[in-house]
Amino acid sequence: MSFREKTAWISLISMGGIYGFYFWSLIASGRRTDAHAAGLLGTIIALVVVQTVLTIAVAIFDPNSAQAPRDERERLIDLKSARFAYSGLATAVAFAIFFAALPSPIIFGANSLLLILVVCELMRSGCQIIQYRRSA
Amino acid sequence: MATIRNEIRRLRFEHGEMTQQELAEKIKVTRQTVNAIELGKYFPSLEAAFRIASVFGKPLESVFHYSEEEQS
Repeated sequence: MSFREKTAWISLISMGGIYGFYFWSLIASGRRTDAHAAGLLGTIIALVVVQTVLTIAVAIFDPNSAQAPRDERERLIDLKSARFAYSGLATAVAFAIFFAALPSPIIFGANSLLLILVVCELMRSGCQIIQYRRSA
Repeated sequence: MATIRNEIRRLRFEHGEMTQQELAEKIKVTRQTVNAIELGKYFPSLEAAFRIASVFGKPLESVFHYSEEEQS
């Protein structure tokens, strides 16, 4: 498994797990906005720490691959994955604009946009992994 | 359906049993990409194809073969 594929797995699992927990706790806490703000800050810090530590750990075991620039196949996989995620982003934003017209608290709108971004990032990482696996 | 086959595996062994990693370093791609090219799961750019042919000292058509198979 290449370094880029490992980082895609790190991104998918860490984002899925940490943001999954955040959105689950958001639903559980109801409409308490102070809990939302603290939870979001903690989520971002946890995500940065987990991704940084895991990426450094992977790079220590395979320093040559970690330092090497992306080759043409990896760049192509990145481009295809970004295009796939962008189509999801464009669709979700169109829905978000439609639902923004409905009366709802600002925290709901902000979390909806965050959810869209997280889902699109998960789509991007997932698409990368599928393509790496297909051409492995 | 068009297919592109290649002789990279055979050429590697004819060139002192060159490993995929060694070829990858010469053409500046990852070992996984060399493996994908060998297995026909990824078709390299023209530039990478020329670099591979250059490593083996062969013309491009000796390394890569294009065939258009008719579907019955």
